[in-house]
Amino acid sequence: MKHCDKCHIVIETNQKYCPLCHQVLQGKGDPSVPEIYPEYIPQRREILPITKKALLFVTVISILTLLGINLFNYTGAMWSFIPIGAILYFWVIVRYGVLSKQNIAFKLAFLTTVMIIILNLVDQTYGDHRGWALDYVTPFALLACNLAMTVIIWIRRIDYRDYMFYLFTIIVFSLVPLILYLFHVINVLWPSVTAFGLALFILLFIVFFFPKSIKDEFKKRFHL
Amino acid sequence: MKLEQKYQEWFKLDNSAKIFPEVSNTKETNTFRVQIALKEVVDPDFLQLAVDAMMERYPMFKVRLKTGFFWRYLDYNSSPFVVKPMLHQVCGPLSPKENNGYMFQVYYRNNIIAIEIFHSLADGFGAFMFLKSVVYEYFSLRGYPVTPDNIVLTKDSSPTIEEYEDAHVAYYDPKNHKHVPEKKAFGIKGTPINDGNIGMISGTVSTTKILELARGYQATVTEYIASLLMYVIYTTQIQHREHLKYHQKPVKIFVPVNLRKHFPSETLRNFSNFVKTDMVMNRPDITFEDIIAHTKEKFRYGLQKEELIRKMSENVAFEKNIFLKLTPFHLKKYAMKIGYNIMGLSLNTMSLSNIGKVDFPDSMKPYIDNVSAAVYSGKFNTLNVAIVSFEDKFKLSFTRSIIETTIEKEFFRQLTSLGIEVEIESNYVEVYV
Repeated sequence: MKHCDKCHIVIETNQKYCPLCHQVLQGKGDPSVPEIYPEYIPQRREILPITKKALLFVTVISILTLLGINLFNYTGAMWSFIPIGAILYFWVIVRYGVLSKQNIAFKLAFLTTVMIIILNLVDQTYGDHRGWALDYVTPFALLACNLAMTVIIWIRRIDYRDYMFYLFTIIVFSLVPLILYLFHVINVLWPSVTAFGLALFILLFIVFFFPKSIKDEFKKRFHL
Repeated sequence: MKLEQKYQEWFKLDNSAKIFPEVSNTKETNTFRVQIALKEVVDPDFLQLAVDAMMERYPMFKVRLKTGFFWRYLDYNSSPFVVKPMLHQVCGPLSPKENNGYMFQVYYRNNIIAIEIFHSLADGFGAFMFLKSVVYEYFSLRGYPVTPDNIVLTKDSSPTIEEYEDAHVAYYDPKNHKHVPEKKAFGIKGTPINDGNIGMISGTVSTTKILELARGYQATVTEYIASLLMYVIYTTQIQHREHLKYHQKPVKIFVPVNLRKHFPSETLRNFSNFVKTDMVMNRPDITFEDIIAHTKEKFRYGLQKEELIRKMSENVAFEKNIFLKLTPFHLKKYAMKIGYNIMGLSLNTMSLSNIGKVDFPDSMKPYIDNVSAAVYSGKFNTLNVAIVSFEDKFKLSFTRSIIETTIEKEFFRQLTSLGIEVEIESNYVEVYV
């Protein structure tokens, strides 16, 4: 036991100073007695900073080079936005796919949505054969996402209730291409029907085999 | 238990729990710690087993926080819970994503078992009940002859509905919810500690001697300590600083009240309210006797049943408002944030949580050395105090988010000058950060 003759308190520590007045403590401590509270260990960093710096540097240089080449040989089209979009999508994957601590279903749904948006923008802006992104990519990306989520839940044996909400979201999204077909925005029917068919199949599977969990999930999400 | 049955276990957030997720961040963590120091070194494997067993008994802790369309809720969490060695940081932000979704953490170090818990899950009473059960289970796994004596909940009993009711809603009065506007309180300023770290200084004194001191003024221990804190704030922060006196904000100490003592509820979730001291200290000659008379009057008024119900109903009325109810959660969130900024933190100078005497069965007492608690401190409430007593060990834990220790120093010097022996513990945050 050490003591502080200014504050008149006793303390069991291997530190030299009184925590109250910071004067040197009197008396001998027992070095074999460990400190009551642990020492401070700084939190580890999430990404190696040199890797991050190098990647960011390469990203900026590539974007500038692409823009430069495009502008100095300008032939009427800003084709450089396509590779730049791809590079930015890479960063979205790193940030929201790899480093994020969100659950896998959210990551899948989010990345698929971003990809669909980027590809549709590309489709709307460039090329002669317009409409491929809406006709084929959108329904097939939704189908792939839906399938991936189901397979992950099945294989990893994780608590499917946590993912149900995302599954529902994807199923609702799968309806969008069909509706667009009705309004003649989409011209090819079969990819949209396939995507919606799978979504409906999964939904019916859940309704028939886990009806209660659906009911509970709705009760929880919408309680007042 | 059938799988389907288990999945029913989800809970609405109770009335006071609703606010915390919206107003918490790395600076205002809204966590608190309860800890029991044993007389032997803790074995982490046995502790893990004990916690696993208790998670089944306390379903309201085996949850993760989720967002619904109108409100957040607590959903059954099927992931495993892992006990961890204690960190330096006291009452730091709990990161549910790194913690399998759980909103509390069980730490061990040397002879200490500590629980840090987010305030949405439970209040001090509930957290101590859980900790006591874990320690009981730990002892019985170690083979010690302990008996629960109806003081500790064990894994042999099963959870009841009453234990997770929202008692605020059960006892509020829809006719008595008048909002009484309040002035902002005096804040203790200082140099912030880096990285949101919290300094902790605890002092252990004799329970009987503190009781004697308080009885000398015909006051309860809480009233006495609150008055002493106010006196120390006055002498160190206000008395000699003339420029403060023209616009003096009142010094207010927020003292949580365990409503289970006033209403017949067995809930283990949040069920507490508060009383506040409230004194404008702009005279140069305020004595300790003045302060304690004021504190006793404020406590007498604040602890009247009508006043407790009014404060409780004020919050419940907010939740029951049909327009607010039907607002989607992501909008409601902002309403709650604004409401909290108006009625929340800046209305208190500091908080003083007296958890009181923690009861243990006689068979457990020989293995326990001391018990303590700590409350986070943040940007405005830079200093908070938690008190727990166990037998003759009365432990006051000061947590601070500023480097200065003036108030702690003066407070303990006041006690030692009255002939009370004080044993100090510190996490020595200033050495590391």
